[in-house]
Amino acid sequence: MAKIGVFTCWCGENIARNVDVEKVSEAIKNLPGVACSMNYKYMCSEPGQSLIASQIKELGLTGVVVASCSPHMHLKTFRKTCETAGINPYLIEMANIREQCSWVHPDKEIATAKAIELIHMAVEKVRRNHALAPIKVPVTKRALVIGAGVAGIQAALDIAAGGVEVIVVEKEPSVGGKMAGLSETFPTLDCSQCILTPRMVEVGQHPNIKLMTYSEVEKVDGFVGNFKVTIRKKARYVDINKCTGCGSCWNACPLKGKIPNAFDYNLGNRGAIYIPFPQAVPARPTIDAENCMRIKSMAKGKELCGICSKKCQTEAINFHDKDEFVEVEVGAIVAATGYQLYSIKKEQENPNIKGYGEYGYGKYKDVVDSLQFERLISASGPTGGEPQRPSDHEVPKTVVFIQCVGSRDNAKGISYCSKICCMYTAKHTMLFKHKVHDGQAHVFYMDIRSGGKMYDEFVRRAIEQDGAQYHRGRVSKIEEIVVDGKKKLRCYGADTLAGQPCVVDADMVVLAGAIMPSSGVTSLAQKLSVGYNEYGFLSESHPKLRPVETNAAGVFVCGACQGPKDIPETVAQASAAAGKALIMLSQPMLTREPEIAKVDENLCAACGACVKACPYQAISKEQVLDRRGNLIKMTSRVNQGLCMGCGTCVAVCPSKSIDLIGFTDDQVYAQIEALCE
Amino acid sequence: MENELRNAIRELLTQKQVDVVIGYGKVGVDGAIGALFITDPSEVDAMVWNDECRQNLAVHLTRPEVKALGKAAIVVKPCDARAIVVLANEAQIDRDNLVVISAPCTGVKKADASGHKTDELEKKCLSCVEHVPQNVDVVVGATDAAQALDAQNQEVAQNRSAGHQTRLAELRAKSPEERFDFWKKEFDRCIRCYACRQNCPLCYCRRCVADKNRPVRIDSSASLKGNFAWNILRAFHLAGRCIGCGACANACPAGIELDLLNLTLANAAQDQFGYVSGKTLGEAPLIGTYDTTDKEEFIR
Repeated sequence: MAKIGVFTCWCGENIARNVDVEKVSEAIKNLPGVACSMNYKYMCSEPGQSLIASQIKELGLTGVVVASCSPHMHLKTFRKTCETAGINPYLIEMANIREQCSWVHPDKEIATAKAIELIHMAVEKVRRNHALAPIKVPVTKRALVIGAGVAGIQAALDIAAGGVEVIVVEKEPSVGGKMAGLSETFPTLDCSQCILTPRMVEVGQHPNIKLMTYSEVEKVDGFVGNFKVTIRKKARYVDINKCTGCGSCWNACPLKGKIPNAFDYNLGNRGAIYIPFPQAVPARPTIDAENCMRIKSMAKGKELCGICSKKCQTEAINFHDKDEFVEVEVGAIVAATGYQLYSIKKEQENPNIKGYGEYGYGKYKDVVDSLQFERLISASGPTGGEPQRPSDHEVPKTVVFIQCVGSRDNAKGISYCSKICCMYTAKHTMLFKHKVHDGQAHVFYMDIRSGGKMYDEFVRRAIEQDGAQYHRGRVSKIEEIVVDGKKKLRCYGADTLAGQPCVVDADMVVLAGAIMPSSGVTSLAQKLSVGYNEYGFLSESHPKLRPVETNAAGVFVCGACQGPKDIPETVAQASAAAGKALIMLSQPMLTREPEIAKVDENLCAACGACVKACPYQAISKEQVLDRRGNLIKMTSRVNQGLCMGCGTCVAVCPSKSIDLIGFTDDQVYAQIEALCE
Repeated sequence: MENELRNAIRELLTQKQVDVVIGYGKVGVDGAIGALFITDPSEVDAMVWNDECRQNLAVHLTRPEVKALGKAAIVVKPCDARAIVVLANEAQIDRDNLVVISAPCTGVKKADASGHKTDELEKKCLSCVEHVPQNVDVVVGATDAAQALDAQNQEVAQNRSAGHQTRLAELRAKSPEERFDFWKKEFDRCIRCYACRQNCPLCYCRRCVADKNRPVRIDSSASLKGNFAWNILRAFHLAGRCIGCGACANACPAGIELDLLNLTLANAAQDQFGYVSGKTLGEAPLIGTYDTTDKEEFIR
């Protein structure tokens, strides 16, 4: 005979305001199997919990229902209470009479009736609960970090410092990411390379870090603590172990300085064998197979050029290099794939996003995006740090900066704020003024968002000390015109504070394009079974309480792949992700919630509907063998490490041969029947 | 054709390529045609092939007692061969361990209420374009006549203007209330004998959801409510899978037009997703797979 204790919470006024708690307690008392029904002002408080514990001990309760807030809030609290009082923590159910009742129903009578029904349902469910034990799975003490920008570097260094082996996968030939290409960083104006390159070197040399540049994640199998990841090492045509990085090859390449360098956003040039920038880690070249004359000629059966190979004294160059696949076993994965700028051009790949034809980006050479401008004012950039406009290499005197290009523009399909543009635009105006003393920066903005330590002071400095002209308003059109024989870009803007149009003839225009997750992130997310939003930003498990975890256990996120953020925030988040990964990897065995799917293997027809429906690839088709090893039948089987208990398989199973432990059909039907009584 | 078929089967058995052949034979009372299981070459002459071979023999392939007989060969009509493709795609049979024999078909004749042959073709044969066997291992007999029939039916099949398709169109032309009344009348006759399920080659679950009682998901008494639940649920379980063999409707002792339910969903699968079940070996099932280029946006 069930002995169920029901404990109804007032939640101060939160529940009691709209639910007659006393009446609820009385009504529940009469349900069959209910041994006690009590209420208290704050059930989650120490006296509240003691009340529950004392009743469990006194009456020997076999099940507990706490009618209070959402299980998200306090299920763990009350499970602990049950455990300390001596009953299995899975013999407790919560009835949510706050979020789903008192907060949404102003009519007290109706809300009270609903609260009674919700509790009745929970009573019927808990009556059918079974004692469950958490699942233990082993853990591989090794982590994988995907992406080696500042986020990935920080995460990898922190995990490595915790004494755990880390594999870092970076798709570009060098680590460093976007930050390696920046000039100076707000709000302190320290040089990006100066603060990042030591970290890059450290990642390259740390004994616990295995660096795999020019590589991509191909496939992810396994589950939390036990991932098997296949990594594609793209053909580099240079053996980085033999190569000494002497530079003979890239200096001898006949195409040197003829191929646009993607690291400089095509403002500078490189050769067919190249290192993207002098501080690259590893400082080893890569051959660009699309442009290399030798590799191109090999396809036609000839062997042209090959000068780099002749110059190489260590025989590191192999024109027959092929993509290689490496399988690694890791326990935790940190995704740090970063961002890219939204392509401002009129033509867009994504049909939901529109470009800006009116700004002439891609048409007028001197309209550049903010990352290009970073290269133009960077000491390591193609112009050696002198701001030159791309069309004629003249130093611009008047530069117009336009903020929110794409961001916060529902008409273009992007509703979010890119967060960092206000700050870096202020920085751009400052750096420009520091390099061109008689120059004038104009900024068109919607709002200035400079929340952060020393941030607003920084913007004020740009305006007050460095004289940047801020115009609150947008630019409707940019036209290339010729004034006194010189090319100018006429920007037709508005100054909404002055209430009048504002036209500026600029030598150069810099567009602060919206931040988008880097390309290919959605396919990576699918491999990792991590959710993402409509723009492709990876979803954290909870925006406040689980900001670096994801819904795929053992996969963490940090940096701009999760949402636009600046360097300090990215580094903080990367350390957080590393910390979470370390916590997980420091345990001898991982504990998982036992509320997962279970197949009745006697009844399963092995049709495979569940195998296809499972979003976590947790179900596989297996053989059932007799003692002699003869095949009796095929069946679906759930991997306990992978199953997240979503219940999709239960819904698709035609013969209902799968059940979700803790949410069995039996329990759910009992709840529905209780409701229909 | 019948003799050629017998010869082919005799050879398979004498050469011990298979242990059992599932074919048609006069097995019922009054010599009604049903499944004949032949294990001895000397019994082959009892096998028949004519326009009364209405049953879809593929239903026997998933039975454990048939599987226990060893490697099997099966005689199917070209249209029924699609059931074998679906079974293989859903991993219910090992297609490599099965010999499928078929012959060109010119349609089967309807039976009257007492089971005797009439002169009328079955409804599904009127718009059939599968007279020539596909996805089978052995084809016996000349295909010319069957090909001609396929060509002849092409247009009606495309326009859905013959046989059970016209019957469905008639029904769909009615108002929802009238249609509901129609099904109420149909399902009212259901006695829950589950003959539809037992004769369906694709109802292969080891224990049907209708037979489970913890919890009871479908009212198991032959009430109108329970009958609706059962028949609609069965149709949903066949969505994107049913090959339209009509075995359910033929087996129904109450004469419920079950084929129309399944046809509605098969038409929907074809119209919405261009999917015809049982056409291609190795194809992923319609339900349970998704495509990010789906026209519905929610899936992305």
